[in-house]
Amino acid sequence: MNLGLEVMAGGVRGGASILYAGLGETVSERAGVVNLGIEGSMLCGALGAYAANAASGNPWIGALGGAAAGGALALIHAYFVLDRKSNQLATGLVVLFLALGVTSLFGAAYVDEIITPFEIWKVPLLSSIPWVGEIFFQADPLTYIVYFLVPITWWLLFRSRWGLLVRGAGERTEVLRTYGHRPQLVQYIAVVIGGVLAGIGGAQLSTAYANAWFENMVQGRGFIAVAVVIFAARQPFKVAAGSFLFGCALALSPALQARGVTINQFALNAIPYVATIVVLLLLGKRGASEAPEGLKKVFEMSPSS
Amino acid sequence: MRTRWMTLVVAIATLVTSIGLLTASATAVPAAQPGQGSKAVGFIFVGPKDDFGYNQAAYEGSQAVKKANPKLKILTAENVPEDDTAARVMEGMIDRGAKIIFATSYGHLDAALKVAEAHPDVVVVQQGNFIKGTIPPNAGTFFGTVYEPVYLAGIAAGLSTKSDKLGYVYAFPIPQTIDNINAFELGAQSVNPKVKTYTVNTSSWCDPAAQAEATRSLLGQGVDVVTQHQDCTSTVIKTTEAAGKMTVGYHADASKLAPKGWITGSEWSWGKLYTDIVKTALAGEFTGSQYNANYRVGYKTGNNPFVQSKFGSMVTAADKKQIAAAKAKISTDGSPFAGPVDDQDGKVIFAAGEIPTYAQIEALDVFVKGVVGDIPKS
Amino acid sequence: MTSATVPEPSGPPRTLIVARGIGRTIVAVLGAIVIFGVFMKLKGADPISAYRDMWDSTFTSGDSLEQILVKATPLILAALAVTVPARAGLVNVGGEGQLVVGGIGAAAVVMWFGNSMPTGVVLVLMALFGAAAGALWAGIAALLRLGVHINEAVTTLLLNYVAVDLMLYLIYDPWKDLNGSGQPATPPLTSREQLPLIGNTTVSMGFLVAIAATALVWFTLTRTSWGFRLSVVGGNPEAARQAGLRVGVLLLSSMLVGGALAGLGGFTQLAGVEHKLRPGFLLTYGYIGFLASWLARHHPVRVALAATLLAAIAVGGDSLQLDSALPAASVNVLMALVLLGVFGWGARKKAVAA
Repeated sequence: MNLGLEVMAGGVRGGASILYAGLGETVSERAGVVNLGIEGSMLCGALGAYAANAASGNPWIGALGGAAAGGALALIHAYFVLDRKSNQLATGLVVLFLALGVTSLFGAAYVDEIITPFEIWKVPLLSSIPWVGEIFFQADPLTYIVYFLVPITWWLLFRSRWGLLVRGAGERTEVLRTYGHRPQLVQYIAVVIGGVLAGIGGAQLSTAYANAWFENMVQGRGFIAVAVVIFAARQPFKVAAGSFLFGCALALSPALQARGVTINQFALNAIPYVATIVVLLLLGKRGASEAPEGLKKVFEMSPSS
Repeated sequence: MRTRWMTLVVAIATLVTSIGLLTASATAVPAAQPGQGSKAVGFIFVGPKDDFGYNQAAYEGSQAVKKANPKLKILTAENVPEDDTAARVMEGMIDRGAKIIFATSYGHLDAALKVAEAHPDVVVVQQGNFIKGTIPPNAGTFFGTVYEPVYLAGIAAGLSTKSDKLGYVYAFPIPQTIDNINAFELGAQSVNPKVKTYTVNTSSWCDPAAQAEATRSLLGQGVDVVTQHQDCTSTVIKTTEAAGKMTVGYHADASKLAPKGWITGSEWSWGKLYTDIVKTALAGEFTGSQYNANYRVGYKTGNNPFVQSKFGSMVTAADKKQIAAAKAKISTDGSPFAGPVDDQDGKVIFAAGEIPTYAQIEALDVFVKGVVGDIPKS
Repeated sequence: MTSATVPEPSGPPRTLIVARGIGRTIVAVLGAIVIFGVFMKLKGADPISAYRDMWDSTFTSGDSLEQILVKATPLILAALAVTVPARAGLVNVGGEGQLVVGGIGAAAVVMWFGNSMPTGVVLVLMALFGAAAGALWAGIAALLRLGVHINEAVTTLLLNYVAVDLMLYLIYDPWKDLNGSGQPATPPLTSREQLPLIGNTTVSMGFLVAIAATALVWFTLTRTSWGFRLSVVGGNPEAARQAGLRVGVLLLSSMLVGGALAGLGGFTQLAGVEHKLRPGFLLTYGYIGFLASWLARHHPVRVALAATLLAAIAVGGDSLQLDSALPAASVNVLMALVLLGVFGWGARKKAVAA
């Protein structure tokens, strides 16, 4: 198989979970809440989906289980950040540690369980298109769903009334209040949606892509999603591009190795992260300056008194 | 004047009495041998005990010890990193009465030696590595010659492959892995000179997503038999089976995960060895025993704790005979690495007719000819 | 923390406020303990005896107390690495990478200059190189922030992964100990290159380095003009700029100092504890240090205490495994619950400006 083809197909496969988390984090950040715990939501989603799948034999019930688990964890983050006013970044990390601990504890029993994974479904006609077909249209159902979620998220955020509320909660909370809305409720919903989407991303990881559960299996994809969201300036289409590119970078290492290319293993591993930094550099001044007001406060936060 | 005399007398009397008492106690009670009469045995694992692979096998070994010694307390600790933290955990076990400690991962050696030095009354045995230089009287390493069943599995793979391309998913180029990959290729080569083994590393002992991608890359190159050296093994197997290709297992019998494609594999059976080491130490016979060394067992000694898994249905009777013959040869005077063995550049590693020792094999740091892949050369 | 120019509002006396704060923290921690007890029960352990065992083994054993200090040493430095930039309003999530790079820097002295120097000099050089390496690593993120406005939280995070890959490359290839056991690691430090231990404990002089660093950071942040200027920038960068402060230089220097502190942590771990660079070097210490700094709201002395507390929880985690047969991951849950408790209820609620 052609190297470029293989890397891009791998990019879609590996990037789908990052994209789910990225879309979720986009919604959350647009509402003014950064959730570093999105990695934890992916992890909970991965386990939740695996367990629900093992119990029911149905991958869709598994996906629902994953979504619920991811959302539940995000609810904890939302509560502490919105109601208890604790720092967003620190709380996100704590929530992640909580998820790491809980999923290791309760997931141990599932490591050797066999589940009914999502099968690859070749889209009729489209999958036979040379190159494009192989890359985009020979994937699992959850990946196909995320294709649709990108424009849907964009539309919801920028063309719907709800999106206006969300962005208002992130940028102009006073305006929202003036019109009788409750920004905090909007924020809660946004964060939980973020967790739900990340949970489905985790479900894709465990019940479609890897067909396995193991503790800490998300391996930083949630963090990557946060980085992608920032450099994509919280725009769903750009998040999709970023996730795809990162997925390709991740797929580069095994693809090169299988062809006997002699590049140091650790240099290959560093490529995705270095590449992301370089892209950030080239994209220039977009990232932080386009952040919603509420988000800017998070990142330029002085120590609280 | 008087008082000074009295003081001197008392002082001398005290001195004499103390010396008397000391020497008396020195001869009265013999020093206990390391591990003797221990009330507890400690096991540290580098990963979680439910990984369906390496650590689970070690854990099951520890439970076999428990079964054989119902009165003994068994202490286990998982996710113990391969650095100084391991020493801390082992010390914690010693605090809780363990005088026999098993450090079950390759990278635990440094910590194990440190603990052994600090506690001469504790037996510390380490699984998988090699102590260079003098071996302390209370320490030792042990391992099975893992590459022997892997060699036999390689023969099975070489006989079963149709594309003459085998695949190996591994984590890091540590000696154990290098030996495995080389043995696998040598075994396959011995029955199928054209065969090549393609290698992909994941830089992790268990990262299911990376394993899935590595497997797919190998399959994409036309590989039709995939094996691995990872701690958790199910993803590679399931991915290969879903693609309709063949599997050689590792660490555990995963044949139920690959009903169609299972060729064979290798798996651990530590119970007997662990129990015997414990028995030896409890009786105070550890020092000078066979375990107070770099203890390696294999087919020659007959009790390799790494055994071959059962064969899948695609392995013919003739194949099995060939494999049995190879095993017999290794058990007597052969070796998977019997010369001539060349490296990837064609340089001779072992000359024709040479039968390398365990130490030489464990010191290998290059891939043999026929292996496709790159590792840092020292 | 009220600024010098705002008059202190009249209200309850300061001691009462502090007492209330401590009281709230205690209640929060107790809440976490209760919830964790429920977890333990679910996993089949008896909470009362588990906690008693944990207390006994962690706080009444000399060995364990030493282990807490050993673990706290790099944690304190990693936490301070977050504190200093936070004063200036920067978020340094790169402790992980800066610690590792610090270890690399210290190891470089040994790898490059070998045994050709007297003891004291070697250690001082290792510390300097370690700190410099950490500063450099943080500096990359700082420059990206200043030059191209990329948020430093993202860049420091990404650089963590690069740092680990760099270390792995070194210990598997150019710096690999060829006389070792085949495990990827640098050659062991000779005794001249090791930090001496304190008395006959297992705690190295590195702990004193951490204490000294804490004092130095406290002094610098509260008593020097540089520290004051950092606070101004952190409080209101625009006002600072208009007041003529060189914001860019201040931001950069705060990150460099932060990175240097973490680099020092890498040095103390290499020279005082591990004596070799191995895979997994100081893994998760950066993130836990980050949490410690936020836990203590970036007040240097409190940060050091918070880091020590988290080290104690980690050491207590051993007891969970060894005495109560709980899985290793339980300690993460305990730590998270305690932190959530303190974050959520332990702090004085700051005045809410929407």
